[in-house]
Amino acid sequence: MNYTTFNQNQFDATKEPMFFGNYVNVSRYDVQKHPIFEKLIEKQLSFFCRPEEVDVTQDRKDFLSLSEHERHIFLSNLQYQTLLDSVQGRSPNIAFLPVVSLPELETWIETWAFSETIHSRSYTHIIRNILPESSEVFDGIVDTDAILDRATDITKHYDQLIMMTQLFQTQGEGTFTVNGQSTEVTLRTLKRILYLTMVSVNVLEALRFYISFACSFAFAERAKMEGNAKIIKLIARDEALHLTGTQHILNLMASGNDDPEMEVVARECHEEARHIFLDAVEQEKAWADYLFKDGSMIGLNKEILCQYIEYIAAQRMDALQFSHSFSQKQNPLPWMNAWLNSDNVQVAPQEVEVSSYLVGQVDSELKSNEFENFTL
Amino acid sequence: MSIIVKIDNYSFMCADDSMSLLEAIEDQGIDVEYQCRQGFCGLCRLKLVEGKVTYFDEPIAFIPENYILPCCCKTKEDIVIEGTVPKEKTSV
Ligand code: FES
Ligand SMILES: [Fe+2]
Ligand SMILES: [Fe+2]
Repeated sequence: MNYTTFNQNQFDATKEPMFFGNYVNVSRYDVQKHPIFEKLIEKQLSFFCRPEEVDVTQDRKDFLSLSEHERHIFLSNLQYQTLLDSVQGRSPNIAFLPVVSLPELETWIETWAFSETIHSRSYTHIIRNILPESSEVFDGIVDTDAILDRATDITKHYDQLIMMTQLFQTQGEGTFTVNGQSTEVTLRTLKRILYLTMVSVNVLEALRFYISFACSFAFAERAKMEGNAKIIKLIARDEALHLTGTQHILNLMASGNDDPEMEVVARECHEEARHIFLDAVEQEKAWADYLFKDGSMIGLNKEILCQYIEYIAAQRMDALQFSHSFSQKQNPLPWMNAWLNSDNVQVAPQEVEVSSYLVGQVDSELKSNEFENFTL
Repeated sequence: MSIIVKIDNYSFMCADDSMSLLEAIEDQGIDVEYQCRQGFCGLCRLKLVEGKVTYFDEPIAFIPENYILPCCCKTKEDIVIEGTVPKEKTSV
């Protein structure tokens, strides 16, 4: 059935599944099937800030003082983060909105993706400040094999879901040959790819991003690139909320409380989903290899980062009841929690100077003389 | 009234109820994973083996069955939770 931007049928949206039910019509939030999404929206809105207002001028001096291989670590990590947020700023919208059936979930997806665009804008702000010419960093992204390797894995489920949805919504169910590949499109195969895509998004936000955060904060632990760390803290706060969002979606799917067929799909796809995590662990380790190829930095090297990858993977897999054999029980980077916590954006562990990220807030204190020339 | 919290093989008395359970555990020198300390990331998640906790803030994070988020709850009764306590502390 063709997608329509306003479904004119009368139906009770609270009886719809999260995805692949009726297309949404009225954006109303007075009644909700899953109120959790409304809470996520409100939380995300309360996090709004403009990273461009964080002062990163000290970072330029810090950057010049870094050694060659430390610059490689810093810039490659930023390139990777830029890739991840480029994907996240658009993909939830393009992949999930055409098949969503609940207004509160639709709005959560839009709010979520919007916050990702702020992340992307922050990277431009950071890079512009530390380098006279930002292009080499941005252009380098599609020229670096180590980055492209993971880009393929990060986007392939999204791309498959988008392609199959397009076929389904224009041609209906059937077997189609696209780019020489035969694709079976049924509601069931669509639900499978949706489930796997959601898992791969969780892997992106809950695992891959945290590995990159570790690299950002490792510099700040040494009192270097602290402006960058301040911005990453704000980004990490958003990502914590996003991973909660996908965990809720995945658990609602697996529980069968939302769509009974999805429970069967989640069970059928369990092994494949588990392997998305395991493959990502291997990739992140290969990435660690690339980051530290010319040398490590104080406090972080390939071995420790690999232990951290396993530690985080174990936690994220536990949360979704995926079995694994990672035995890393203790956090190998004990300083990470304090950096990830955003309550202390102003007073970070290394005494980062007071941030100015609230400069944009509305001045609500009007003085009486501001009304002097105002007559009724 | 004092409440006993048992984590791993370590027990302690939870006297100050102005603290969250997370703060009470940290106060004992035991590290628990955390990020937000506001109930939305789910990273402080611990398994509750016995007893009940009360949330002073409704958490947003997903909580698997039998788990608790210590950053936004307190305990009103004796509880047993699973966790990893450094060996040198497991003597009480
Ligand atoms: S620290 Fe985030 S939920 Fe407890
Ligand atoms: Fe992001
Ligand atoms: Fe995100």
